[in-house]
This record gives sequence, C-alpha cells and structure tokens, in this order.
Amino acid sequence: MSKFVDRPRYTCALGGAIGTLINLPRVIPVLHAAAGCGGNIANALNGAAGYLGSGYCSGQALPSSNVYENEIVFGGEGRLTEQIANTLKVVDGDLYVVVTGCMVEMIGDDAKSVARKFAGNRAPVLAADTGGFKGNSFKGYDIVLELLFRELVIKNQSKDPKTVNLWGIVPIQDVFWKGNLEVLKTLLEKLGYRVNTFFGEGETLDNLKNAASAVFNIVVSDTAGVEPARVFEEEHGTPFITVPFPIGTYGTEQFLNAVGKALGIEEAFINRLIQEEKKHFYSYLERLADVYNDLDLQRYAVVVGDSNYAQALTRFLADDLGWLPELVVVTDLLTENEQERVTARFGNYLSPIRPKLVFDSDTSSVKKHLFNHWPINRNQRYYDGFNPAFVVGSAFERDLADSLGAPHLSVTYPISNRVVLDRAYAGYTGALRLAEDLFSTLVGSR
Amino acid sequence: MSKKTKQIAIYGKGGIGKSTTTSNISAALAAAGYKVMQFGCDPKSDSTNTLRGGKYIPTVLDTLREKNTVKAEEVLFQGFGGVYCVEAGGPAPGVGCAGRGIITAVQLLKQLRVFDELDLDFVLYDVLGDVVCGGFAVPIREGIAEHVFTVSSADFMAIYAANNLFKGIQKYSNSGGALLGGVIANSINAPYAKEIIDDFVKQTSTQVVGYVPRSVTVTQSELQGKTTIEAAPNSEQAKVYQHLAQRIANHTDSKTPTPLDIQELREWAAKWADQLLAMETGEVRSAAASI
Repeated sequence: MSKFVDRPRYTCALGGAIGTLINLPRVIPVLHAAAGCGGNIANALNGAAGYLGSGYCSGQALPSSNVYENEIVFGGEGRLTEQIANTLKVVDGDLYVVVTGCMVEMIGDDAKSVARKFAGNRAPVLAADTGGFKGNSFKGYDIVLELLFRELVIKNQSKDPKTVNLWGIVPIQDVFWKGNLEVLKTLLEKLGYRVNTFFGEGETLDNLKNAASAVFNIVVSDTAGVEPARVFEEEHGTPFITVPFPIGTYGTEQFLNAVGKALGIEEAFINRLIQEEKKHFYSYLERLADVYNDLDLQRYAVVVGDSNYAQALTRFLADDLGWLPELVVVTDLLTENEQERVTARFGNYLSPIRPKLVFDSDTSSVKKHLFNHWPINRNQRYYDGFNPAFVVGSAFERDLADSLGAPHLSVTYPISNRVVLDRAYAGYTGALRLAEDLFSTLVGSR
Repeated sequence: MSKKTKQIAIYGKGGIGKSTTTSNISAALAAAGYKVMQFGCDPKSDSTNTLRGGKYIPTVLDTLREKNTVKAEEVLFQGFGGVYCVEAGGPAPGVGCAGRGIITAVQLLKQLRVFDELDLDFVLYDVLGDVVCGGFAVPIREGIAEHVFTVSSADFMAIYAANNLFKGIQKYSNSGGALLGGVIANSINAPYAKEIIDDFVKQTSTQVVGYVPRSVTVTQSELQGKTTIEAAPNSEQAKVYQHLAQRIANHTDSKTPTPLDIQELREWAAKWADQLLAMETGEVRSAAASI
C-alpha cells in the first residue's frame, strides 16, 4: 500500500493547469469536471498563494461543466459542448482552454474533439487532458505549456536574434512569480534582449503566439517547464537551456553567465553587468554589517520548499548572509534523474558548510529529519543546541518553528500568513527584499 | 414482514448464452409458481427480450437520461408468467461509463424498494460477464445478490472469463459479498466438453449445477421471441431448464471459489490441448493403453 500524503504543497494537475491559465492575459479556462473541483482549487490557489485574489474570469468565477452522475454514465461531451458554447457567448476572452478533471478522464470523454468543433470561433478553443491523477501542479503547468507551444504558438516564424523566452517559474506555486519574472526580465533587458515571460507584467497573448520568433528559451528550473522546452524545440526548432532559480550574488551570477554563454554574449559584457549589479546590491547589504555583528544575527537554518526555491534559498543563506543552513527538505515529487540534477545544485559553497539534503513531501517529516541530523537534547550536561535558528519554508513550517523556538518566514508555497503582491526574491534586487524580510523578522520584537 | 427474496446473479462471457439461460430459468421458476424478477445488467439491454415476446423495454438509464427521478412503474414490465423485467441499459457504445451505469441502476431499484414491495421470491441479475470494472461487480458486492452462477461453455475464453469472475467473488468474499453457487455448463454436446468443465470446477473448488446441451429448440423459440419454456414447454430442452431452475431454487450454500492464477490457467489449458490432440490422432491414453 502506498503511504498517505501529509499536507501536500501543491494541488493536482488540474489545479496547476488552472493556476497557469488564469495568469495568462485574457485566457479563459473552461473546466470539464465535477462542481467541487473548481471551488476547491480556487480556494487552494487563493488562500495559499499570499491572497492572490481573483480578477477577471478567475477565482470562483470560472466556467465549468459541473458534471453529475448523468454525465458520468452517458458521457459528458454534450454538456461540455453546451458549456463551451455558452462561455463563448458570455465570457469575453482571446483564448479558451478546456481543462479536464479526473472523472471525465476516467470515463474517456474526448475534450479535444469537442474543442475542435469550435474551430471557426473568433478566438481559439483548445483542450488539455489534465485529469488530477496525472500529477501535481507542476505537471499541470507542463501540460498547459506543451499544449500552447504545440497549438497556439505560430509556426515557421523568422527568428529575432534579440528576443528570448523565459519560463520555469510556475505561477502560484511560486507565490512571488510575478515579481520574480519581472526581475529576471529586467536583468536580461540590460543585456539588450526583449524577453517574453508570458505570465509577467505587461505581457500579452500575442507575445505567446509569436514566441517562436525568439532565438532562445531559458528555463529557470531543473524540473518545471523542462518538458515543454523539449516540445518547443521539436515544434519550432528553438534551443533551450535550464538554469537554476537565482537568489543573490552566486545564483544570479551563475544565471547571467549561463544565459550569456548560451546566447554567445561576450564575457566582458556580462561581467560588467554583474559588477554593476553587485555594486548596487552590496551598497545596501553592507549597511547591515554593523547590526549583524553587534546583535549577532547569524543563524542556523532549516530550508523547506520546492526544488527551485530550496537550492536558491540555501545558496543565499550560506553564501550571501553567512548563515548555517543545516537541513534542506525538498518537497517536490521528483524522478531519480530530477533528484540527481537538483542534488548537484547543493555544493561548492563559499564556506565549508554541507547542508543535509532530503527529498520528502510530508510536512511532519521535516522535524524527524532535523532530529536525525541534529540529535535532540536528552538532558545531557553539555548539549550543543540547534540555536539560534531560523526556519525558511512555507506557512506549514510555523509549527516546526514554534517547537524550535525559532523565527519563521514563509517563502515557499503555501503562504497563508503573508500578503504577496509584486514582491520578488529573485536576482540581486530580490535578494535585498529577502534580506529585509529575514532580518526584519529577527528585529521585529525589539 | 415480507419473505426473504433470493437474489441470484448470473454471469458469463458475452455471447455464451447467459440471457437465454437466465430467461429460461426465470420462466421455469415463474411457471413453477414463484414470483420472479429478471434484471438485465448489460448495456445492450436485451436480457429480457424473450420474456416479452421479443420486445425491448425502456431501460432504467434511458428513463434517467430524460429526467432526474424515476418511478418503479416506468421501468418495471411484466412478461411471461408474470416475470418482472427490468433492464439497466447504458450509454451509447464508446461514450460514458457503462459500469457506473450499472451501479446507478441497481442502486436506484434498491432505493425504490421494489424488491420488498413486490414480495418477490427470486431476483435474477443477468450480468455482462468479464467483470471488467467495479461497476459490473456491483451485483456481487455486499447487500445485492447472495448467490452467483456463471454460464460457461468448454471454450477456453469462456472459462477464462469464469475464472476472472471467481477472482472478483474471492475479492469480495471477505466483506459480505456474494458467494459462488456453481457453473451452468452450456453448449455441452461433445463428451470431452463435459470433462473439461468438470475438471475446471474441480480445480476451482466449485460444482456444476446443470449441463445444458446445444439445441435447435432454443434457436426456434428465440426466433419467435420466446423462451423455450414458453414456446416448447414439453420439449427435452425445457426439461433441462426446469431441472436447472429447480436446482437453483433449492440451492442454499454458496462457497468461495479458488480461481487459478494466470500461469496455472495457461498450464491447465495446455494440458487439455495436448489431450484433445491425442484424442484427434487416436492415441490411447486411458486405462486401455496398457493392452
């Protein structure tokens, strides 16, 4: 028997697909699922992503076929046809994407052929098989991107050597996605590139439709968005690189060097940008040096989050703040290959620190792993306590932090104890925000 | 209080003669004075045809498709000898979920309490036989049928389907599900066919409740839209069915079968294949081989 899942940090493939679609400009998801799916997912997405809120055709206001037993027995294609037709009448959008739930996948409804009936519509109607059982939110993101790259992005476009596409930062799963995309886009713009991020500020659906004119694709993840990049390459002949999500000097330098190398940018040009950015970064960070030393703000740390954030946060804490990340728990469901790729990101720290790395999706396991790594106090006369400590994770880590008597900052999904608007943690400027938030937590009681 | 209704499920591979056999058993039981209902659990919805002069009846799911509630009288139709006929029905081929349809239909009839109100002696479920999903297992799950019989010929694929059904019965046997009454051996004409079935029931710890020979009388009756019991009540074939019905009526103790696993089943079939080949080529393998 497989084990139970303890407070998962993702929704299902359908949830991931909806989270992806509602953050594309003027794209309308049409759910083909039972009534509960849409409601539950909307709550999971809104409450767990820093109070995302809704907006146009989002949140609880999503078109859904709401299938009942009748549709399960006789097939729900008729109901879906009706739902699409009505949605086209009353909901104004530039692209409609049918996404399916478990029950209609199990009975074999052919959502794609239903969507094809609307081929003559002024806005395209597409369909993706996103039955929840296909995987978690990351899978839903991949499925939607693959669909859009295959069926929406216009083929045979001439390449513009100064345009790139950037993805791999999953909307909602990365609660700070919008700010993060903006930061990375701004950095690449400083290298003279136009950047399509699809989900970021000021993006339009035309950027996505014309994405094949980009000369390169940059996937800012070792896991999310990698399969879609392969699909993109197959469909449009655009090469791609994967780079880890960057926070702080080490990660962002690595990011810029990798992108520079892939695009054939002169090293000196990249280095000049890095130096400029670092100058700006340290001009602020150095102001903390006094208080860091006077109040002794160095901390042991536990980092809990998805593979994108875990490696970036650990790197930032160890190399930029000089903290001691002792335990890192990566909470994604990853294949062995993916685990290997992710593991490779936890090494070569500036200090001799070697954080203990664990792959485990269960929230209650974090404490167990910590005590395995750092023996618990059993009233020894001399005990080297895990203290002072800090927990960087999600809202789920509040209990762990309380039990350790440590402060806690929610950075990874789910985040229900903070409000997040355009905040970013990526790059150099994001790292300053993270330093502010971490140290503000420490001095908050003064 | 109403008497205890005996609920029986009859399974078998498609085309093996389940509906023919079930309808004749229903007709024979009705002719013997019992109150009987036959419940067709097959999306083809032709189980009760021969009880109703070859006419199709509106199915439970057809009725549900049109509206949300269904009354008993909309789906219950009396046929030969007063047998109550119900067809579960199902979606059009290739869409929806027939298995879920069977669950919906069976549960609806249970909710309507028709079994109690009609004061029935027997309910016979005639079920599509490969038990491909949970829906087709619903009549053998807790609280529906108590006894299961399976119709099988001596053909390997029919036996394979029967063995699969045994696996389903075994699975639900610990949780109050129906148990196996035995095998109704159908189309048994050649002597070796009887031997094959006899050997199979021995291997799987069950019994044969009746041997039904292939007969032109059955075909003639069905072409008239009737059961053999109705069309040729005095024929030899009718006697076979009457005998079978009596045996089922008297049956009380069902058991958990011991299905063969796939490897055992293949080996068992290979052994019979050798034996049939030997028979064909005239090789003597019986006690006389030593002469």
